[in-house]
Amino acid sequence: MIKTAQDLKSYKQQIREALSDSYLRSALDKFNTAYRANRPGVYKEIDFDTIRDAIAENKDSLIPYLETLYEQFKKNAQKAGTIVHRAKDAKAANEIIAGIARENGVQKIVKSKSMTAEETFLNRDLEKHGFQVTETDLGEWIIQLKQEGPSHMVMPAIHLSRHQVGDLFEKQTHTKLDKDNIDTLVNVARKELRPKFIEADMGISGANFAIADSGALGLVTNEGNMRLTTTLPKVHVALVGFDKLLSDLNSALRILKLLPRNATGQAITSYVTWIKGANQWLGDPPVNLSGKKQMHVIFLDNGRLNLSKDPIFSQSLRCIRCGACANVCPIYSKVGGHKFGHVYIGAIGLILTLFYHGKENDRIIVKNCINCQACKAVCPVAIDLPHLIKKTYAQVIKADGKKPLKNYLLSKVMKNRKLFHFMLRQAFVAQQPLLKGRPMIRHLPFALEKEHGFKSLPAIAKTPLRDQWLKGAKKIENPKLEIAFFAGCAIDFIYPEQGKLLLELLNKAGFRIDFPLDQTCCGLPAMMSAEEKTAKQIALQNIQAFDLRNYDYILTLCASCASHLKHNYQKIFKEAGENEKNLNRFTDKVIDFSSFMDQIYPFPESIKKVNKKVAYHSPCHLCRGLDVTDVPRKLIKRVGYLYHPSKDEEVCCGFGGSYSVDFPEISSQILKKKIESIVASGADILATDCPGCVMQIKGGLDKQNSKIKVVHLIELLTNN
Amino acid sequence: MENKDLIKLMKEKASLASAFIHGVSSVDQVIDYSIALCRNNKLKTISAPDFNKEDKRQVGEACQIAGLEYLESPLRDRINSLDIALTWSDYGIAETGTLVMKSDDETLRIATMLSTIHIAVLPISKIKETSTDIEEVLDTILKSESPSYTAFITGPSRTADIERVLAIGVHGPIELHVLLMDKSVS
Repeated sequence: MIKTAQDLKSYKQQIREALSDSYLRSALDKFNTAYRANRPGVYKEIDFDTIRDAIAENKDSLIPYLETLYEQFKKNAQKAGTIVHRAKDAKAANEIIAGIARENGVQKIVKSKSMTAEETFLNRDLEKHGFQVTETDLGEWIIQLKQEGPSHMVMPAIHLSRHQVGDLFEKQTHTKLDKDNIDTLVNVARKELRPKFIEADMGISGANFAIADSGALGLVTNEGNMRLTTTLPKVHVALVGFDKLLSDLNSALRILKLLPRNATGQAITSYVTWIKGANQWLGDPPVNLSGKKQMHVIFLDNGRLNLSKDPIFSQSLRCIRCGACANVCPIYSKVGGHKFGHVYIGAIGLILTLFYHGKENDRIIVKNCINCQACKAVCPVAIDLPHLIKKTYAQVIKADGKKPLKNYLLSKVMKNRKLFHFMLRQAFVAQQPLLKGRPMIRHLPFALEKEHGFKSLPAIAKTPLRDQWLKGAKKIENPKLEIAFFAGCAIDFIYPEQGKLLLELLNKAGFRIDFPLDQTCCGLPAMMSAEEKTAKQIALQNIQAFDLRNYDYILTLCASCASHLKHNYQKIFKEAGENEKNLNRFTDKVIDFSSFMDQIYPFPESIKKVNKKVAYHSPCHLCRGLDVTDVPRKLIKRVGYLYHPSKDEEVCCGFGGSYSVDFPEISSQILKKKIESIVASGADILATDCPGCVMQIKGGLDKQNSKIKVVHLIELLTNN
Repeated sequence: MENKDLIKLMKEKASLASAFIHGVSSVDQVIDYSIALCRNNKLKTISAPDFNKEDKRQVGEACQIAGLEYLESPLRDRINSLDIALTWSDYGIAETGTLVMKSDDETLRIATMLSTIHIAVLPISKIKETSTDIEEVLDTILKSESPSYTAFITGPSRTADIERVLAIGVHGPIELHVLLMDKSVS
């Protein structure tokens, strides 16, 4: 029933279908906005960062010892009558459960929500064995009736409207319902499912925590169905991933501080239930002489134990299934979980799918990440999700043993700076017929216009910045600071005028700024395409291109370059297990434009006021990549403009480098929302500090003939 | 935190979770409250599974006078007619407005899970500030070799599974009433 695309063509078709589902679009957009808006209130009373780091540290200390924790759990749980099993994979887990059901003469089974049971396709297998299985969580029941998989880890039926739910319920109950009234629909579930609990012989649940030093389970829920599932039937089976093992109660209570807040914005859910052993059961006939129920816990491996030994991917086992990585994802909010994951959805889904459901199901979806870092910022266990998604992509390519053509070309060209730059220069000539005398390409040839025509494209400059630099540079005697400029492809070849402005500005202040000519692309595009070797070679070329003895700073005008140079270079060498002796010296000196201006640039005392409203777009790799948030807004005011707040300033513009070429349908929809917010703000100017964002937003506004001027902050600062 | 601040916080947070919260000073008041609630909601039955024998007798009598049915334990056979469950609560956690109930007894679980309204009596002396303050107690329960079923209950059962609209009362109680018992007030 889960139909995850296995090739790009059918994936594109699925994406188009999702984008044309008007209910889905508005529901998910609203959800994305509301989730982000509520978040500050939700975390008013506790410090997210501190607890997040403590949980991550705690989980990392446990992940290498899952086997030991399992043995400890088993020993303690057995003392209270729990029968503990382990299953090496999904099939084995489902077989164990079917076996328990058979042994106990079970016919009817109720289930409370469990992603782990979704992972093993438990219902399908139990039904094959002839058991009648009813999901009792409202959302799970809805998708069971609809014969679909969950489209969100916490709200499985978020993709359906009340009317779609009403239709399902009418069919189920054979009665006419007031489908506008959600309380009526909820009451249908209450009434319809209550007999199911009473009739069932077996209840299946998951668990959020398996506590080794006591052998107890912790379950975090809201509806009350889990409590009934674990109480009324004579047999309780809990299916739990090995990754849910914790050493002690303290670790569980710590996670409990973030899990409900991050998942649903609640300080705590309606119910948190701690179950140990075979509890009292007074049904008739009794299961045994002691009047207890039969209690089983099955620990599912299914790749987890291997994952726990992986130096890079083991952190994915920290996941506590809050679903927040989907909630804030601009792509999820456009296409929904069915198109953005397999069983597990959202950012973590793009990673776990490879390990739990195989490369066939991940090959295509894993490409669909724009690397905006929004998921990483909200993850309650500090998983470096965007990075792991690219690492997963690399694993898929490796397992396939065959590179996509794009990767082959990218690697060939980008490793060789001279070839790469030669091709960019050729592009200047090739684009002339499309420019039609304008500074931007507004219409593409017919075949490309439909998909890629949502924005005007910038022109490649006639003379790249590297060829103009020496001519423009002033001779500075005894410079106050020596700075190296890292241009990045966009400034060098598309917006050289922005680089020239920087040169003038800094020379005027008595700083020397050089353009080391051996520098090339920062390498982020290679990393985004999972070309790890190429990314490392490029990194090395760049480190060697800068004579680090001479410079106080390596300055960029591109937030993406800056965060890649500063943070990803470190990861690249660390993960390759290589020592690059100049690495730290290089990354330490990298600074983004806004921070440089704020911390180092000597602004004149008096500034002329300019009566223009400036909205700001915060580049993903600046606000999340480098944690620079307030400074650019401060700069706008400092140079005399009126900073004019607009909605969703820190939401991605949809560019993402080659993402906008690979997934233009989604990129254009993200851009559309960004532009709506900018236009609605009534600003005269939109400023940002990443040439990629300038390109995307300027292109979108130009296509609409908008009067709003899009500038890089450097243009704003030097205008005045 | 001082006791009066704890009470204040408990009230505030439990209300935020859509629980109704009231002060009482005696079991008599608890019973009066329950009978009135039962009648006002046109409900018929009350159970009080973890009340002591004498208090149960009093609930039974009050029900009889009011024309309501008092349900004796066990409750399995009366699953479809559980209206009001009247129970004690072992602890309160003020920072989240949470009740802590050790519910190993199946009848107590059934009452608190299947009744339409759950009324829980919480002695003010049992209010703690945070979950850390009950960690030791809970840890002792979990480490004991006896089976156990301990519930944190915060407000009535709820869902937002349809269109993310909050709906109160899905499978569990539709209302949760917390009666803060302060015997020093008379």
